[in-house]
Amino acid sequence: MNDGGSKKILFNKSTLFSLKAELLRKQEEVNEKRRLPQHKLENFKPPVKEKKQEKDPDAPYKKTFKDSLKAVDTEELEACRKAKAALERKAELYEHLSDSAGNSQLAGRFLVDFNTKKQQEPEKAVEEEPEVYQNDSSFSQDDDEWTEFTDCLGRTRKCHKSDLDMYRKRDAALLKSMSKDKNPSQDIEETKPEEPEPPVKEKPLLVQTTNDYLQSLREKWEQKEKELLGKDKDIHYQDLLFDEARIHGVGYYSFSTDETERKKQMEELIKQREETLKAQKETEEIRKKRDELIAARVAAARARQRARAGLPPEEPAKENQKDFTTCLLEFLTQQRNEADAKAKEEENRIKAEQEKERQRLREAYVREWDIGKEGVESKIKKFREMTQEEYVEQQRDKRINEFAPPQASTSGNANVFDDKGNMIGDKEANATKTWADVRPKAKTPPPPEIGDLSEIPQKGLYFSTAKKNDNFKYKNFVRAQEPTPIINELEDTDDSVPNNPRIEKRKHESEGVAIPPPPTFEYYGPTIKQTKYDKPFESDIREAYSQGAKSLENKSKGKQLPKHYDFTFD
Amino acid sequence: MTSSEVSYNRKIITEDLSNVEFDTSEDVEVIPTFDSMGLRDELLRGIYTYGFEKPSAIQQRSILPIVKGRDVIAQAQSGTGKTATFSISILQSLDTTLRETQVLVLSPTRELATQIQKVILALGDFMNVQCHACIGGTNLGEDIRKLDYGQHVVSGTPGRVFDMIRRRVLRTRSIKMLVLDEADEMLNKGFKEQIYDVYRYLPPATQVVLISATLPHEILEMTSKFMTDPIRILVKRDELTLEGIKQFFVAVEREEWKFDTLCDLYDTLTITQAVIFCNTKRKVDWLTQKMQEANFTVSSMHGDMPQKERDNIMKEFRSGQSRVLITTDVWARGIDVQQVSLVINYDLPNNRELYIHRIGRSGRFGRKGVAINFVKSDDIRILRDIEQYYSTQIDEMPMNVADLI
Repeated sequence: MNDGGSKKILFNKSTLFSLKAELLRKQEEVNEKRRLPQHKLENFKPPVKEKKQEKDPDAPYKKTFKDSLKAVDTEELEACRKAKAALERKAELYEHLSDSAGNSQLAGRFLVDFNTKKQQEPEKAVEEEPEVYQNDSSFSQDDDEWTEFTDCLGRTRKCHKSDLDMYRKRDAALLKSMSKDKNPSQDIEETKPEEPEPPVKEKPLLVQTTNDYLQSLREKWEQKEKELLGKDKDIHYQDLLFDEARIHGVGYYSFSTDETERKKQMEELIKQREETLKAQKETEEIRKKRDELIAARVAAARARQRARAGLPPEEPAKENQKDFTTCLLEFLTQQRNEADAKAKEEENRIKAEQEKERQRLREAYVREWDIGKEGVESKIKKFREMTQEEYVEQQRDKRINEFAPPQASTSGNANVFDDKGNMIGDKEANATKTWADVRPKAKTPPPPEIGDLSEIPQKGLYFSTAKKNDNFKYKNFVRAQEPTPIINELEDTDDSVPNNPRIEKRKHESEGVAIPPPPTFEYYGPTIKQTKYDKPFESDIREAYSQGAKSLENKSKGKQLPKHYDFTFD
Repeated sequence: MTSSEVSYNRKIITEDLSNVEFDTSEDVEVIPTFDSMGLRDELLRGIYTYGFEKPSAIQQRSILPIVKGRDVIAQAQSGTGKTATFSISILQSLDTTLRETQVLVLSPTRELATQIQKVILALGDFMNVQCHACIGGTNLGEDIRKLDYGQHVVSGTPGRVFDMIRRRVLRTRSIKMLVLDEADEMLNKGFKEQIYDVYRYLPPATQVVLISATLPHEILEMTSKFMTDPIRILVKRDELTLEGIKQFFVAVEREEWKFDTLCDLYDTLTITQAVIFCNTKRKVDWLTQKMQEANFTVSSMHGDMPQKERDNIMKEFRSGQSRVLITTDVWARGIDVQQVSLVINYDLPNNRELYIHRIGRSGRFGRKGVAINFVKSDDIRILRDIEQYYSTQIDEMPMNVADLI
């Protein structure tokens, strides 16, 4: 899956040249050595034998190894241990990489293609013991131009003295990068065990297995996204499409993602659109003309036919003539349409008016979440327009009950309300539009009580379309039709207000502080004398009396009563 | 199991609290064509090129009131063009010469916010509108730069948007409309505070538009706190499921059998594209791994993945490169991929609303869809409850289910 081509080896050109130089140098060296006497083919003596002889006895070898171990100082030992650990880690990493064969998350970081490698040689690489490095390193010490050093991975490397500095620097850089990569390598160690890995860690590995095409797509998308972020520019639909498989309309046109190109395309599109419209218009005109022409030709042909047949010519524009009934029908429909339009207009006007009123209410409405925002609190105080009855209600609320108009004597005076809450007798109040008038018929509940949201179960303006009973309760309003106390019926003067139980009750209920009444005319001005006939019940009795008397009189006028019925005293 | 029972009971309790019935507002005008809506020419062109020809029911009713500036609560079945509804309205009421944020759209997931951005840009392609997706999991600096560049519309998730407002990068003084997509989710416990926080920064009496396929009663109850005399366009719950989405169940005795059933169905899944829902992220991971071990090609997505990865999965799925997606409820709401025709509820959802949203991933804009529920014996009761609640029909899966896709 992971072919070699996907891996990029990063290098700069100078390294290639130095490699080439190194090769040449080595070749020269070899040639030089070839010229030496011991390298002549005749003098060849296989060195292997010698080594074998050295190594042949087992025990002495072990002894020497132990001896050498004793001989090395602690510093060397430490270095050895480090090297061993590094090698172990490396081996593990190698094993992991060759096992997963390119599936690993880390595969991309190494130059070796483990996938093909695995296919080529399934055998495991033979590990070498660290000591071998040390032993081997001794073989070419003779040449003092060459020196060796141990790098951070524990490898002993040989190099030209002049290159030593460079190699050391490289080594330091490698060490740095190693310490940076410590975490991933630990990850590998953790995920090493055979048991199924935890899903969270597994995720990126799984995603890696998506095929190359997907990978290239992803890269493409990423590139695009980077471009989008790169500079300040307008973002359009095409920039965000990312190969989405969406079916668009027939008129869909995929614009360029390049801004200038896009503009050009847009202009072209608009131009073509205009041209199309023009062309459509033209063809329509041509068609009309042609139709007319054909109609004329047909008419001419028919006229000729009629002439040949000896008939009089057809009356031209017969269709334009209308008989009386069609005229009447037209007139009537026109009338009806006019009436309809008028009715509709009227309806619309009413609707518009209601809508305007509702709009006013909406503007006055303060949302709970808006309270406390800049300008909202003052808006409530300044611009909240009260309706008439709201104002009256408020004023009543402020009033001390003792100063309220007497209950039984309200019939004749200013404080009489009809059941809509309008003042009777006060022409001005009647003339102003009331809440009830503007309210859409029984569909919306009464206006919001902005002041005390908490008191109403349904907070605030509740424009529900659901039908429900709306009984607006005027909490301080006492209806005038309140039964008047019977005690007062026959009395001429009426001062029994304190006896009214309802008023008494209201007095108790009120907990307000005694506030002096406002210095207005209504309070301090002269009170209107209450005349007897102002009181409905009494005046009725009187009237009944007088009427009875009158009818009796009338009767008596008609015929004389017998003497014994006459109770009048002379 | 107990948790799901609790959530199923919840509804009944709350309904006792208030007996106000919410209905669709009267005098909602129905406008039968886009042409007669009085939209600007460039917008109309965008609408037609995007593929809309005739407005859907919700579009016929909601666009005009929103354009008029009214607060609107709009409900419609899944995949009937709700996003386009508010997008068109937004575009119509924009002043493109004013390079400031005028509309704020909030949605519950980053993928959805990005999708909305895309729709707005698509519909407004001829208007030169700028819309930015302000979502978490992205580079803050880039976000700030984009906002400073000047965006007409910001579509985002509440957390990042609030962050941007607080930093005064996202200036709110010109905002005249707030849209809450998936409004019931946005006003649920998890999000409500964040929405409130954002709302507090908006000018008072900002126009508010709520959109969702499901609008439970308790959500409608609270709308008066931040809306003024809203126009409601609602759908009765027995009309909420679409005819075009056939619903089935497969009864399994044991949880383990679900996996085998899924493997059996795999060929059916890949006919077009399919989404498989699990209830937890862990289960998504588990199922994905298991499917891949069984050599089925699937991809997966959930909220614990890095955003970059989520983006890539989304793009792959949208481009049709991956055909089977195993995911959580992060994918349940709003995501629109035309080719998805099959939804599998590997686990039943935790509430009734989620069921509607999940099965609504298929059958987009008039297309056919199939939803298959895997139910253990004790889940059947829940499924029956859902069936009854939405007055719909969930039959046992027939053998020829592939023919229905």
